[in-house]
Amino acid sequence: MKMLLAVFRNEISRLFSLRPVLSVIVVAAGVYAVFYPQPYLNEALRKVPIAIVDQDRTQTSRLLARLIDATPDVSVAEVLPDMPTAQREVYTRRIFGILLIPQHFERDLLHGRASPIALYADASYFLMYQRMNGAVTAVSRTLGTNFEIARLVNLGVDPPVAAAATDPMPFVPVPLFNPQGGYATYILPAAFVLILQQTLLIGVGLLGTMPGGMVAMAGGARLRLSDRIFDSIGTVAGKLLAYLVVHVVIVSVYLIGLPYLYGLPRLGSVATVLAIAVPFSLAVGALGLVVAAIFRKPLAVQLVFAAIGLPFFFLAGFAWPAEAMPIAVRWLAHLLPSTLAIDGLVDVAQLGASLSDVRSEFLGLWLLAAGYAAIAVMIEFSKRHRAPDTALA
Amino acid sequence: MQRRDRERPGFSLVFWRELAWLRRRPLLLMLTVALPLVLMLLLTAILSAGLATRLPIAVLDLDGSELSRSVIRAVDATPDTAAVLHVAELSEGRHLIVARKIRGLLLLPRNLERDVFAGRRPEVVFFYNTQTFTVGNLVLRGANAAIPTVAAGIRISLRTAEGQPVEEAQAAITPIPLQTHALFNSTLNYVHFLLAALLPAVLQTVVVTTMAYAVGLDVETRHRFAVLRRLGGGLLPAMFGKMLPYTILFLSMLGVADAVLFKVLELPLRGEPVVLVLAGFMFVLACQFIGALLALLLRPVAAAVSIATLLTAPAFGFMGIGFPRLGMNHFAYGYGELLPGTWYLMARIDQTIRGTPIDLSWKPVLVLTGFVIVLVILTALRVLAMRRHIQGDGP
Repeated sequence: MKMLLAVFRNEISRLFSLRPVLSVIVVAAGVYAVFYPQPYLNEALRKVPIAIVDQDRTQTSRLLARLIDATPDVSVAEVLPDMPTAQREVYTRRIFGILLIPQHFERDLLHGRASPIALYADASYFLMYQRMNGAVTAVSRTLGTNFEIARLVNLGVDPPVAAAATDPMPFVPVPLFNPQGGYATYILPAAFVLILQQTLLIGVGLLGTMPGGMVAMAGGARLRLSDRIFDSIGTVAGKLLAYLVVHVVIVSVYLIGLPYLYGLPRLGSVATVLAIAVPFSLAVGALGLVVAAIFRKPLAVQLVFAAIGLPFFFLAGFAWPAEAMPIAVRWLAHLLPSTLAIDGLVDVAQLGASLSDVRSEFLGLWLLAAGYAAIAVMIEFSKRHRAPDTALA
Repeated sequence: MQRRDRERPGFSLVFWRELAWLRRRPLLLMLTVALPLVLMLLLTAILSAGLATRLPIAVLDLDGSELSRSVIRAVDATPDTAAVLHVAELSEGRHLIVARKIRGLLLLPRNLERDVFAGRRPEVVFFYNTQTFTVGNLVLRGANAAIPTVAAGIRISLRTAEGQPVEEAQAAITPIPLQTHALFNSTLNYVHFLLAALLPAVLQTVVVTTMAYAVGLDVETRHRFAVLRRLGGGLLPAMFGKMLPYTILFLSMLGVADAVLFKVLELPLRGEPVVLVLAGFMFVLACQFIGALLALLLRPVAAAVSIATLLTAPAFGFMGIGFPRLGMNHFAYGYGELLPGTWYLMARIDQTIRGTPIDLSWKPVLVLTGFVIVLVILTALRVLAMRRHIQGDGP
């Protein structure tokens, strides 16, 4: 216990006195909090510019163009004479889709024939494609339905019956969470968890590879085996406790303060969020100790972990469904605290899940914390085992 | 060693010394070869499926009629969704969605069949989760394709029951059929859209941070800096001799990634390979000089590496693949403009899936070349300033 307290005090003071460590755990976390969300702050992609190639040039074709321009998702940036001209505009990225309204569009409609239109939408950017496809589909359906109802009414059908005949079984999609489909609301809660992991992981990796981490208790080199075991456990526990105390403050800012600041919806209780954050911080801290033992040099830790965030993010099964990943990759993903923590924390904060709903993630994080802590204790023990010998030599 | 001592100072001396360093320093070799390969392999493994198909959804069928069963069959038949289980209550379905066991819940109301044919327009409701953006949109796409098809069948049968011929009924129910063509990526494959962009994005971070480290080693002390200059026999030969081994290595890594993308994952190459290679070369050089410049401006090496990480690790979001740059605020748009990766991805998309005509392909390549020229000049100026500083201080 004395060991634990001594190590705890030593780690806290190192954390704040070693500049590289402080700048990763605190300063970098602060910078990312402002910097990372910037691309997504507008939440939705609106007014994707498209061109209309109107070969019909009638009142109805112009009505269609106006209705499409009026949707929030798409704007008609240009009206162009032919397809080749429009295609070149797509290549220059001035527009991202072409709506072709063929000749006789209005005539066919008025004659009760099917009057097709064609959308050529740039699928090299999926979100743009989705917006254009959604908006144009909705407009063409609505306009078509209006024509169908009008035709039926002309034939003498009652308007309510005509409406039922055109849409006998309405389809109503209901998004349960993030109903606006906001991009920031989707990506930021998960990305924040990953940033928390990366900064703490690198910070602890640096702490473990910089000098001054060894606390020896009085008693000399002739320690009994059981003492060495207890010292090792005390050391690891003291370090993890130190990281936890500091990290809980940063976690609170990230998971409670930032969502509030950026206006992200939060359904879950603060207490549950913090309850999951505890095993998460412990697991990441313990993993950091293992990382430090593997890479041994501060620069190696920094360099190896610089680019690793992006694969870690996709491993979490958030941006890309775990169902579609190879089974080996899914197993690997579960060795990372971020995978379970993103699931657990997003479920609680964004979906309003209770602690019992995320029991498996919660227990899984404790298991990871215990596993990595056990490895860290073994590493610490072997260090202490070797240390007296080198002191004698 | 003796042979090299006799060699005249110049570009090749620095070049060979750098290669010898790479052999002697396992960390450098790991950063330039093993790390990018492992990270790119990992991303490839994650996204290798390219398409997420048959995502599980549940059904709450309160009707149990012929019609409700045909709706379920239709939803199950789309490539996007699979109806994997029946639930007894709405709350159970919601619970399973939160637990990610299912990705959507289809609610078929009581008396669906009776009400449809009585013209009461009962609603078929589909609950899904847009908190997981991609998956939510995929299952919605599946349901959105299946249910109107069933409804269309009903509409046709209502009309044929009135004596209308089938073809006429078909034409009548969709007055304005929309044909959507997905340009450049007709199957909406995530390998060609996302993975092809992620690999260079990872490489960008690796190149900038590794160069900050490699150059940092040479300029950390005045002595080493002077040695490098003397070995090079001049400023430019020393600079390029130092950089070139890494250019070759990183371009090889990019080549490995592209070989896998083109040969195994069938990424189309519809444009000019020469333009693609040229853009790749400029991209790697630009990233290298950003790293080098950071190393020259910031001391110690750790600080240069930290800033390099800070600038490039979150860069993927700014390059406008997931969320297009069109929708970004001014700061994000401007920052994206300054990243070599933004322009390289543009050139890459142009030359691979888009097959952009050659006369419209040059802008991103020229911007990258401009980056390289400006960065080389800045680096040279900084080196000159440092030399003057050292000579001013010297005895």
